[in-house]
Amino acid sequence: MFQISKDYAPPFKMIEPFFVLGSIFYFLGTIILLFLHPKSGHFDFSIVGWAHWFLLGFVMMIIFGAMAQLVPVVVEVGHFAVDLYYIIWPLLLLGVLGMVSSFWFAPWLLPYGGLLVLVSMLIFLFETFMTLKKAQNITLTVKTVYWANIFLLIGILSGFFMTLAIGNGFDINLTKWLKAHAMLVLGGYVTLTIIGISMVLLPMFGLAHGFDDKPVNRAFKVMIVGVILYVVSTLISFYFATMLAWIVIFVAIANYFYQIYLIYKVRARKKEDIWSKSMFAGFFSLALAFIFGFFNLFIESEQLLLAVAWFLIVGFFGFLITGHLYKIIPFLVWFERFSPLVGKQKVPMLHEMVPVRDAEFEFYFSASGVVIAGFGLMLGSEDIFKGGVLLLVVGAFFLVKSVFWMLRFK
Amino acid sequence: MCNITKEQVYKAIESVIDPEVGFNLVELGLIYDAIIDENCNVKVVMTLSTRGCPLHQMLTQWVQDAVKKIDGVNEVEVEVVWEPEWNISMAAEHVKKALGME
Ligand code: HEM
Repeated sequence: MFQISKDYAPPFKMIEPFFVLGSIFYFLGTIILLFLHPKSGHFDFSIVGWAHWFLLGFVMMIIFGAMAQLVPVVVEVGHFAVDLYYIIWPLLLLGVLGMVSSFWFAPWLLPYGGLLVLVSMLIFLFETFMTLKKAQNITLTVKTVYWANIFLLIGILSGFFMTLAIGNGFDINLTKWLKAHAMLVLGGYVTLTIIGISMVLLPMFGLAHGFDDKPVNRAFKVMIVGVILYVVSTLISFYFATMLAWIVIFVAIANYFYQIYLIYKVRARKKEDIWSKSMFAGFFSLALAFIFGFFNLFIESEQLLLAVAWFLIVGFFGFLITGHLYKIIPFLVWFERFSPLVGKQKVPMLHEMVPVRDAEFEFYFSASGVVIAGFGLMLGSEDIFKGGVLLLVVGAFFLVKSVFWMLRFK
Repeated sequence: MCNITKEQVYKAIESVIDPEVGFNLVELGLIYDAIIDENCNVKVVMTLSTRGCPLHQMLTQWVQDAVKKIDGVNEVEVEVVWEPEWNISMAAEHVKKALGME
């Protein structure tokens, strides 16, 4: 029998910092973009620093916060030691600040910030693996969560390895390790995790039932194979296998798209809201990344590569995460503040706890910003890129404003 | 003999609202049955719109509390079942409309 007890739900004050910090990192991250140059290559430490600011401070921070809530739902058991989440975010916060400032100002200090991030993530992984161990019902989703976390583990170890090489100046083939690291964390962890989470959340919020879930199960398996093939073939410089790995990964993403379409078709909730619009923008961005990524297999172009990374990271990861904040935060606040009052007095509905107008502003500014800046990157135009980023900054301001509004809802 | 009716039980459960969707459990079609025995023990058979629903325990608790308020009711039991699986066609017409179906 499937039961989610209240004990499975972590206390509000434990996960609140993840969402608050994540949104602030997002906002400041868009501002920092104004000082970067679209023509810098992705090796440039200004870009690598920004990538970690956004990916660790925003993407990973919020994924970790969401996992505190979601791992028990997926695994159908309580956490092993949920209190560990109290130390995950402070360590991650200090680590990101240390690591990013080292990339920008003092690369020889990299190992220190890197170590803090490593420790914070190892604690997260330890807690997650111990929770997974308690699972009785080993579904494909449980296995996928397991694999995603293995990829994260190897990914951060490879990151730390590079950090040591850069900090101490010993010689490794950074290009290869960078590729392996980026694939492990972006494809192996973040993408796989988002696919997994969206299979829980899209049907829940869209009220979709009775759809065929074979495509996503295929996507899971194929993606895992693709990531492993890519990492191994890159490290041993087997170019043909690397190309094959890309094709495998494209097949996985195509299956995921098909799954999204199946869910979309049977959804009962057809009314558009800020969440559904954000999902749409996120999948549109993933489609752009997919198409440009495909061309990038045949056209060697740094600008095209940056545009692919942009639409994947800022577009797809960005919208899927920000869109869900409008569902998750009201729920957490409601659960904490209003659920004890049910039956005793009138309580608000969740959709009343979203600042509709600010959320709309956030959406339209961010969506146009992502598209314009992305094309600016591809064309190598500083003006277009910065114009888009400026829109994104305004959008991010409204996001932070909305997040605080929702958190303070009384 | 017990004179509590099914209608009374359903009426009571109408006070329980799913905060995510904004409708009560009866109009959503989540209540499958209410079985009342001669000693006025009530068993409510219901489902939820999602298996991983984080409100699972609270919703069943609320249903139990609501039914307990009926005059003369004895024990109240709530059973959550997943067969048949809930889908939107089980909801009331005005709910489907409000969600944007047809
Ligand atoms: C302990 C944790 C981590 C450490 C120590 C670390 C360290 C590094 C280092 C040293 C590089 C190579 C810089 C270069 O030589 O150009 C790098 C690249 C990269 N890392 Fe990490 N990393 C960590 C975690 C992560 C995570 C969790 C993500 C994603 C969610 C991530 C995403 C990336 C990306 C996308 C690049 C490529 C950036 C570019 O080419 O512009 N890293 N990382």
